[in-house]
Amino acid sequence: MAEPPGAAYRAPIVSTLVGFSRELRTAGLNVGSGDILAFCSAMGSLDPSDLGDLYWAGRTTLVTRRESIPVYDEVFRRYFLGGADPVREMLTLKAQATAEAQAVLEVPATDPPAAGREDEQATLGLMASDAEALRHKSFTACTPEELAALRRIMARIRLTPPKRRTRRTRKAPSGRSPDLRRTVRESLRMHGEPAELYWRRRRVRLRPLILILDVSGSMADYSRNLLQFAYSAKRAADRVEVFCFGTRLTRVTKALDRRRPDDALELAAQTVFDWEGGTRIGASLDAFVREWGRRGLCRGGIVVICSDGLDRGDPEVLARAMERLARLSHRVVWMNPHKGDNQNFRPSTLGMMVAAPHVDVILSGHDLSSLEEFATLLPKLS
Amino acid sequence: MERPETVGQLTETLRQGRYLADRGLSTALFVALSLHRPILLEGEVGVGKTEVAKVLADVLGRKLIRLQCYEGIDTNQALYEWDYARQMLHIRALSEQQVTDDAAVDKLFGPKFLLERPLLEAVRAGDQAVLLIDEVDRADDEFEAFLLELLSDFQITIPEIGTIRAETPPLAILTSNRTRELHDALKRRCLYHWIGYPSAEREVEIVLVRQPGVSEVLTRKVVAAVNRLRELDLAKPPGVAETIDWVQTLDFLGATDLDQANAEDTLGAVVKERDDLDLVRDNLAEITSGG
Repeated sequence: MAEPPGAAYRAPIVSTLVGFSRELRTAGLNVGSGDILAFCSAMGSLDPSDLGDLYWAGRTTLVTRRESIPVYDEVFRRYFLGGADPVREMLTLKAQATAEAQAVLEVPATDPPAAGREDEQATLGLMASDAEALRHKSFTACTPEELAALRRIMARIRLTPPKRRTRRTRKAPSGRSPDLRRTVRESLRMHGEPAELYWRRRRVRLRPLILILDVSGSMADYSRNLLQFAYSAKRAADRVEVFCFGTRLTRVTKALDRRRPDDALELAAQTVFDWEGGTRIGASLDAFVREWGRRGLCRGGIVVICSDGLDRGDPEVLARAMERLARLSHRVVWMNPHKGDNQNFRPSTLGMMVAAPHVDVILSGHDLSSLEEFATLLPKLS
Repeated sequence: MERPETVGQLTETLRQGRYLADRGLSTALFVALSLHRPILLEGEVGVGKTEVAKVLADVLGRKLIRLQCYEGIDTNQALYEWDYARQMLHIRALSEQQVTDDAAVDKLFGPKFLLERPLLEAVRAGDQAVLLIDEVDRADDEFEAFLLELLSDFQITIPEIGTIRAETPPLAILTSNRTRELHDALKRRCLYHWIGYPSAEREVEIVLVRQPGVSEVLTRKVVAAVNRLRELDLAKPPGVAETIDWVQTLDFLGATDLDQANAEDTLGAVVKERDDLDLVRDNLAEITSGG
């Protein structure tokens, strides 16, 4: 590509730059050799003795996402300034970013759920009749062994979100718009006689599924199962996003991306930072709408909220967040474990009452059969 | 004009095009220009991501080629398309004249019947163009995957014609509003820069550069008010574009200062969500208090 000026390859500066890049890699940034090369060539046309050039060239070549900027700043400060502080004045943008970096460092490691150990499960083995009985047993009443068994059954539930038509087309025997490309090609064979018209039709695609799980204290007995359910869902459907909340919202989609369920759940459990704390549904949903919803994550999607609706925050905030969420997404499903098998369930908690007008379907999700009910209902939510 | 030789020069050139770029953005653009690498700009809405591409094309004397992405955009709309109607007519003419030689048929899929779409146009224009791939996050993943080849080699293969390659690639600027996470592979091929909100002082400067002739008192008051709005936890915080709009609106109405009454009348220029409007109206006195 570009012809890098020779000056950039003089040894001392290059090894400094490479050293810095490696330091970033150690700090967890995904820096490839190609990026380092780009960084060095960029410095070739800039002034390596100018701290500003150094900082910005590195930031533009080595950082690929906003979240990494605080880490980059930290490493830059350590590497080039020996931990001293003057960068802060020089780089005006930093004040907020540094605060974020420190916030990230505070995340405590919570204990991973020990229940799902593979070898323990393997020795269990369940009879079909047991499985049937388990199906209607509330998660709260299950023993750890039963829960492990349930998880294995859960992993087999297929989730198919409803479909929607996209703007992309595919060839079809009949359709709305003619496939001109194919028609012309075929007519060439017939000596220019357009013998037959070919068609294209809009393709269909599965709607995205967004799970927002309450992991606060009042939901403690359910939340780990819900996380397992989320993991199964993630494996089963095409586009699934998973969030957890207690007092604050955490995105666990990336953590659930692992192949092995135990790894995934463990990682997700570590990511979530307020297991079994208090609940601020309103604030969390509001954060979801602001951070993710507005950017289009749930547009045209099915949003599933699993919570008992015991909110300690301001109901006004919850109402507003729910209203906005309902407008941003295609359908909103609320799973409330306290609904149980009661058909005439009336929302009793304040949070539920406030949210109910904006919810399309209320399910229970307290046992396996209700999760299966959700799986059958899902494709019909179009 | 020729490619600028230092970061400072580029900043100055952009300023002449009435765009104030900070050190970070200038450096990023300068590196992109020198290394012929595409650059991905992310940032809040209305901070001038698209604008910088337009201005850059203008001041460098290059042609701006813009590809607005949307869901379902495909190669026919982004790359090239055959002119089927003309092909059909041509086929008819050929068969009526009983022409059957190969050359006549070959012509059917020659440059004459090829409709250029933005990406092909940009590859052909090479470094005479600035290619703006706007809101790439709106396109779907399939399209993103397709961009990979283009952005790494700046070459396009048309089966019937062959491979078209840019001698020197155009400056490619991609923008994204982060409605979804872009694929890592795409990011790898690009330089990256995050554009944040400017400081109040700088924002005043930006408004005055974009709208010369407006009262500076008014501008300072409006910028202060907008900064308060950003702190107010709105669903849709106003960007720099909104600040400029607001100043322009007030100026058009003959205002030289911001007060509660004229702010109320022109709120629609800056707050664009009903819930936000309610919140802002309740705090209007404090927001417009200046300072």
